[in-house]
Amino acid sequence: MAKLSNLSSSNNDKKDKKSKKKKKKSAGPKALSMKVSAPKANPFESIWSRRKFDVLGKKRKGEERRIGLARSLAIEKRKKTLLREYEQSGKSTEFSDKRIGEQDEELGEFDKAILRSQRERKLKLSKSSKFNLSDGEDDDYFGSNSLGALPANDDFVDEVIPDDDDDAEAAETKKGAYHGAPYQQKGGLLEGEENKRKSKKEVMDEIIAKSKFFKAQKAKDKEENEQLIEDLDKKFESLVQSEALLSLTSSGNANALKALVQKSIPNEHSKKDNLLAAGKTENFNQEKPDAFDKLVKEMAMEIRARPSDRTKTPEEIAQEERERLEQLEEERQKRMLAPDNSSDDEDGDAENASVQKRKFVSGDDLGDSFTLDDDERNHKKGWVDEIFERKDADGTESEDDDSAEDTDSSDDVGGDSDDESEEDDKTHGRKHSLKDWEQSDDDILDSNSEEDDEASKEDKELDENHPKKANKGAIVKSSKSEGSSEDAKKLEKNTKRENKPELPYIIEAPESFDQFLSLLADCSDSDVILVIDRIRASNAIQLTEKNLEKMQRFYGILLQYFAVSANKKPLNVELLNLLLKPLMEMSRQIPFYAATCARTRISHTHQQFCVDNKNPENSSWPSSKILILLRLWSMIFPCSDYHHAVITPAILLMCEYLMRCPIVTGRDIAIGSFLCSLLLYVAKQSLKFCPEAINFLLTLLIAAAGRRSLPSQNPQQICNLVDLQALGQLLRIQNPTNEITPLDFFFMMNLTEHSSIFSSDSYRAGVLLTVIETLDGFVNVYGQLKSFPEIFMPFSTILHELALQENMPDVLRDKFRKVAEAIEAKTEEFYMGRQPLRMRKQKAVPIKLLNPKFEENFVKGRDYDPDRERVEKRKLQKLLKREAKGAARELRKDNHFLFDVKARDKALQEEERAERYKKASAFLQQQEHAFKSGQLGKGRKRRK
Amino acid sequence: MVRPFAAKGKKRKKTERYDRDDDGEESIASAKKAMVENEPDEQPENEAAEENFHELEGIPIVPKDPKSDSKAGVIFVLERASLEVAKVGKNYQLLNSDDHSNFLRRNNRNPGDYRPDILHQALLAIFDSRIAKAGRLKVVYVKTEKGLLIEIKPYVRLPRTQKRFYGVMLQLLQKLSITAAGKREKLFRVIKNPVTQYLPSNSRKMGFSHSSDKLVKVRTYLDAVEDDVDLVFVVGAMAHGKIETGYTDDLLAISEYPLSASCCIADICKDLADKWNVG
Repeated sequence: MAKLSNLSSSNNDKKDKKSKKKKKKSAGPKALSMKVSAPKANPFESIWSRRKFDVLGKKRKGEERRIGLARSLAIEKRKKTLLREYEQSGKSTEFSDKRIGEQDEELGEFDKAILRSQRERKLKLSKSSKFNLSDGEDDDYFGSNSLGALPANDDFVDEVIPDDDDDAEAAETKKGAYHGAPYQQKGGLLEGEENKRKSKKEVMDEIIAKSKFFKAQKAKDKEENEQLIEDLDKKFESLVQSEALLSLTSSGNANALKALVQKSIPNEHSKKDNLLAAGKTENFNQEKPDAFDKLVKEMAMEIRARPSDRTKTPEEIAQEERERLEQLEEERQKRMLAPDNSSDDEDGDAENASVQKRKFVSGDDLGDSFTLDDDERNHKKGWVDEIFERKDADGTESEDDDSAEDTDSSDDVGGDSDDESEEDDKTHGRKHSLKDWEQSDDDILDSNSEEDDEASKEDKELDENHPKKANKGAIVKSSKSEGSSEDAKKLEKNTKRENKPELPYIIEAPESFDQFLSLLADCSDSDVILVIDRIRASNAIQLTEKNLEKMQRFYGILLQYFAVSANKKPLNVELLNLLLKPLMEMSRQIPFYAATCARTRISHTHQQFCVDNKNPENSSWPSSKILILLRLWSMIFPCSDYHHAVITPAILLMCEYLMRCPIVTGRDIAIGSFLCSLLLYVAKQSLKFCPEAINFLLTLLIAAAGRRSLPSQNPQQICNLVDLQALGQLLRIQNPTNEITPLDFFFMMNLTEHSSIFSSDSYRAGVLLTVIETLDGFVNVYGQLKSFPEIFMPFSTILHELALQENMPDVLRDKFRKVAEAIEAKTEEFYMGRQPLRMRKQKAVPIKLLNPKFEENFVKGRDYDPDRERVEKRKLQKLLKREAKGAARELRKDNHFLFDVKARDKALQEEERAERYKKASAFLQQQEHAFKSGQLGKGRKRRK
Repeated sequence: MVRPFAAKGKKRKKTERYDRDDDGEESIASAKKAMVENEPDEQPENEAAEENFHELEGIPIVPKDPKSDSKAGVIFVLERASLEVAKVGKNYQLLNSDDHSNFLRRNNRNPGDYRPDILHQALLAIFDSRIAKAGRLKVVYVKTEKGLLIEIKPYVRLPRTQKRFYGVMLQLLQKLSITAAGKREKLFRVIKNPVTQYLPSNSRKMGFSHSSDKLVKVRTYLDAVEDDVDLVFVVGAMAHGKIETGYTDDLLAISEYPLSASCCIADICKDLADKWNVG
């Protein structure tokens, strides 16, 4: 219908159009002004929406929306839609305006006209009009149309004419498409001519011709190429032969170039020259490899990395050491043999014997000689094992506590008067039964060692060794020991001579202490260490399993040796120091055995001390051997452990000495202070508290201060063993001295009890110095103890007293003051830190805090519920609710609007009715009035 | 449409109790009662055990009931805090001078004025103090430069890092309240102005400003105040300027130097803790 009306409208005469246009023009602006610009400014529309927060950076999108305006716009919209519907609701027909551009509000009247004329043109150019003869008049268009293909025309129109909503652009494109079509058709025709079907023969002919043509082309190309190459070669030849290139390139390269040229030439031209040329080229090739090529090849062949030797295991190192020593030993033996055989006849026998021993075993010499061979060693073992088993039955360790006494027993005969020997001598009788086995060994060894020192051997040797002839089997002999027989003596001479210039490199671990002693018979201190080192190297534990046992035995022997040499008078301090190293190393290797040895020794010492202490006349202070052994253990075993299998009993022992031994002589004081410093050394790391040491130091200081009794504030301190007065005499410095001799422990140990040194003032000062230094050490070590003030406060008063003594040397005085001040400062510190005891002390409990719940990067409106499903659901619900609300609001507003409209209509009707009523009533009233007034006025006249 | 403030302010359902921790302790204590025998108890069966402990005369075994004596508390008001949310790029952020200096300059603002870190430090100084830990802190009010009033509960665990604090503040300014994790209780919330309506009537209100002529030592000043009076300290949490409030009784200076808010608060808290003998 719309189309028809459209057509009919366009079909009208021009005049009609013009008139229409005029009409429209008159109507258009009015409509525009009605719609776009509000006719009057509604003051309510100018109210803008208010904002709660002015948020910086937020786009002010919401503010453009004016609520008042929006409301009036909504009303306008309703007027257009709802009101129309409402008006239509009572009607059965409807008028719809479908003129082109009529619905589009933005188009002007002129634009609409343009659109309409365009549509007309399009229709004219349509396909169906192609075959129409044109009369040159536009108006005939429709007439011709009706003549020809009417049905096609119908379809076409349907297609081309766009809907009313279509805009100009769409029309344009269609037009373009239409114009392009004829050209396309033309092209299509030309193509059709060319693509005319050819016969098969023709096609084949064509193909053959083509292939022929291509072949000819190829051949031609090839020829051309060859010619080109030839030309180039010629040119190159001439270039090579010219001097220019030669000067540029090196000689070798030039040769190569020439060779290349010459090679190429014969290859190309003549086969006759081929052989010759080949030879030539070969020659050139042989000359060719220059330095660089060689280098490259070499580098290619070179090994890039070598595996390094792996690090050796300790076992391998030990093995190597052993092998080296064996080699050295072999060499030594060889060297030994040659001159001895030639020179010495007397000794030759023995020498031979020793050599022969290696080859054949003779019954006598089995245990005597020191040999390498395995079978012999095994055999010897058979000998020695017996003894060892016997020994082990007695006690695993070789205890040498008694060695001291044992020496004394022999020394007594010699007339040696030692203080220790005296005291030991008294106990000797008792002990003899206890430690018989030890004596049997130790007697000899000690005498031996002393004899070595004195270098007066023969007589005593004879005397002493005579009785031992009987139990020759029991005493183990080595080749170097002073055997019981003359043979042995001879041997000894030999070995001595051997030993002096050169020690054997491989030394079997000695099976017993005697054996070891005889090994070391004539050695100097450094040689002793050398021997020990070699024994250790040749019997390293890493080598075989058996060596562990051997080394353990050897360790025991070495310890015994150490103890024995610690007990000597005078002390060989050098040797002790040297012995320390192997002992420490070995006890690291066999720690368990070392600890067992040490423990056994300590327990023995303690037992002995208990026995000694019963007799008050005896001085029970430890001998130098025990002191040195204690020192050794403190170095071997870790002092930092709070509990240690060796150190703990050692500490207990030391403390017991300090506690229970009465101080009688000056030497006792020296030993006591040595023990104190040893305890300090041990306690330094483990921070163990040794009250005995502190007490001892306090006692000494009190005695030195000359007090008669202990300070009254700590009566619990046990000093009942000490006669303070006597001690005071020992320690009090009588005359002013400035000379202080620091105590030399080893020197002190060598002195006798009644030496005059002990009563000298310098000695006293020295003792005080040692005491104060030890005390200083304890103060530092026990600085952390909570009870520090209680422990050390007694010292400070005494130290002050001592510092005030008139005869005190200045150095000591300063020391006393310093230590006292240190103690006081620390005490003060502790007192500061102490807090009164509190009943039911409780830690203050802070109030319970709550964590705020918040999101990082909070975005308003986002639901932070972790359950996504619930979030989705909630979102949808929210949307639904919002939509429902919106719809309800719209409906409400629609209703309001309709109600308004209805009300307005009603009011209008009412007004109309009222007017009519008024009119009627007015008429009636007039009538009435006329009637009542008696037919007066106009009406009457008219009637007339 | 955003709901107006008034509606929010009146929504309070229950009265706040700042000594909430006390009943928490009580519950713990009651739990302990079953286990520990010597815990004081009113029940008759425990009295026999109790009597053994009364051997020592003069030493009270029953601990003081914390609720029996209502101690005076302290309230802090931080004025002129710079808390402002802006849409930077696509999302909302709390404006601070470090991150948004360009943004602020583009919008003709002075970046130096946007210092939420001052507020963070000040709040940390308050909540880390001994008096807060002892439960003597009643509440903290923060008034922003924009005029927004925020109430912070004393038992909140404040975020230690600035970033997290900004996160909390951002959320607070958008949601207008922050609840405790796992509880519905509101730890932070935006409340209605003015702050005076929340301050206890029997309270001493002190403002602090370097510009004040009244230079006092906090300790001596506090000693003069009676013990049972609640104390309200008004401290500025801004970078420049001074606080201007009509409700303070006194405007004090506690140092010759201009102090930072956190330092000033730390001083106050320390002296207060000494005065009250806390911890």
